[in-house]
Amino acid sequence: MPYHEFEVSKVIPERKLHAVVKGPGEDLTSCLPKGYLNTIPGSISERGCAYCGAKHVIGTPMKDVIHLSHGPVGCTYDTWQTKRYISDNNNFQLKYTFASDVKEKHIVFGAEKLLRQNILEAFDAFPEIKRMTIYQTCATALIGDDMAAIAEEVMAERPDVDIFVCNSPGFGGPSQSGGHHKINIAWLNQKVGTLEPEITSDYVINYVGEYNIQGDQEVMLDYFKRMGIQVLSTFTGNGTYDSLRGMHRAHLNVLECARSAEYICDELRARYGIPRLDIDGFGHKALGDSLRKIGLFFGIEDRAEAIIAEETARWKPELDWYKERLQGKRVCLWPGGSKLWHWAHAIQEEMGVKVVSVYTKFGHQGDMEKGVSRCGEGALAIDDPNELEGQEALRTLKPDVIFTGKRPGEVAKKMRVPYLNAHAYHNGPYKGFEGWVRFARDIYNAVYSPMHRLSAIDISKDDYETGKGFVTRRMLSDADLSEDAKASPITGYTGKFDPIPDLRKKTDYPVFARRVAAAE
Amino acid sequence: MAKKEKKDIARANYPKLYTSDPLADLDADTREKVSELENYIMKNCLWQFNSRGWDRRKQNAGILGMTAQLLIGEDVEISTAIDKCYWVDAVLLARNFTARCAWLGGMGAEELRTIMTKLHARIDWLTIDGSLNEELTVQNY
Repeated sequence: MPYHEFEVSKVIPERKLHAVVKGPGEDLTSCLPKGYLNTIPGSISERGCAYCGAKHVIGTPMKDVIHLSHGPVGCTYDTWQTKRYISDNNNFQLKYTFASDVKEKHIVFGAEKLLRQNILEAFDAFPEIKRMTIYQTCATALIGDDMAAIAEEVMAERPDVDIFVCNSPGFGGPSQSGGHHKINIAWLNQKVGTLEPEITSDYVINYVGEYNIQGDQEVMLDYFKRMGIQVLSTFTGNGTYDSLRGMHRAHLNVLECARSAEYICDELRARYGIPRLDIDGFGHKALGDSLRKIGLFFGIEDRAEAIIAEETARWKPELDWYKERLQGKRVCLWPGGSKLWHWAHAIQEEMGVKVVSVYTKFGHQGDMEKGVSRCGEGALAIDDPNELEGQEALRTLKPDVIFTGKRPGEVAKKMRVPYLNAHAYHNGPYKGFEGWVRFARDIYNAVYSPMHRLSAIDISKDDYETGKGFVTRRMLSDADLSEDAKASPITGYTGKFDPIPDLRKKTDYPVFARRVAAAE
Repeated sequence: MAKKEKKDIARANYPKLYTSDPLADLDADTREKVSELENYIMKNCLWQFNSRGWDRRKQNAGILGMTAQLLIGEDVEISTAIDKCYWVDAVLLARNFTARCAWLGGMGAEELRTIMTKLHARIDWLTIDGSLNEELTVQNY
């Protein structure tokens, strides 16, 4: 087994089992780190907790809901507005956050009355919002507050409101992934099947594991609408509470982030016979094949092909312009979970970069199986890294750019490695044919930023050129290119600063005659 | 409310089919051909990585079985929505195999069946029987 031991972690010998280097001839039967285990004491993990995984990752992107944490205000603050899961209702779920503000006296005397008061006050403060989710935290779980009973009382008192209770305190798993699991199953058990949706198409899907980061969901929804597919619900980005109660009526679950949402797909398959189709919304080939698969499933592949042809013709030349300029650039792909496998192969094939390392903060061994498979030889795969290991890896691997979250990202910047936000994006959306070019544009801007190069010079120590002044990204990226490449009329991404407002205004979708006229 | 069915606990105790790499003694030419197909799957597909071993067994058998039938030109029977999902992935796989591996076009039905059987064995080995993933036998999803 090609385990990798970090110098900085020699004092934590258990850590050796959590990193591997993919050598020649290695495959998954010989090269896979441990994963989804409790963080080893002494290792300063970058993980979130199970409460964070339930609320911050999956619950909060629901847009028409009061999201209330039952616990100290700090828990709420740390799960508020740190991810850009926007919505088309003026971002209610991003603008407002709610907490019962539990203090020491409530730990002694109980916080159920406080919770009840907070629920009523929140509904009164936002009378147009009739749906709520409540999240357990460590403190209120330990004192045994019965949130479900309080929610039942309020729903009996106010029949027009509906409340979902999520019992996933921070200690409920090794990482945020424990919370993903809990909220998936809790939503299915409590809410799916409690509302009958209106069916308007012969082709009905749930779009699952999609969180509308900077508009990703809205980009994909555009493709589905152009194909005449009804998206019954999105779990959960830009999704509504009530649409997610009707998930049981879909014909197909289209699953994007298997790490956070495969559980609900698998249970919908077991309980309702709805099949699960895993897709990749990132990368032109993967996205094209994903649309084809959905089209094939419903017998409307021609509609998918028309979209692929149109979008590829528009965006592929610009993607290729970046690919020529990003050849061989070394990338550390260090996201939270699913993007390590969504992106690992696609960025190498379609942008020309080389992935020298993948890591996951909270992923399982299943995520690493996908990630290690999709990397090339020599890649360093790390599970649940600590900050010192990250620094050591950056010093030894010398990447040109790192894709990660903002906490390790800021550390990388201080080490003079350009960083792109893999969780919330820099200038997304990154999904879709256009989005993939936006991602390439952001990578290009990071790698060739003249400002970043200047920041790497220590003028008190290093020799530096005093006679060289103004440079641009283009001067840096095109220096070694052929004359033909330099003369290309393409100059990179030509889309809008933000493509989402136009999508929200769009109404000219094709109308397809239904085979089944009667509603199901 | 959602239907709750009794959990099939026995499914987590699925039998092992292979105790070593089933292709270890294969001739170099066939090995290379299987590797080419395997590499495409491992780099581009997700269906072989469902989270539990029993589920992977079904996925691999369903999709690779139908892919073999499509490559050979046989009719594929689709009786459930889940079969249809297998078929969808099989169609894409067969198309991509054919586009990338010209040598498949020169093979007869028996040769195709043989190489797809070996590929199936290899994928089962990588993702199930030889896998180091310790969560494959967890009873819950």
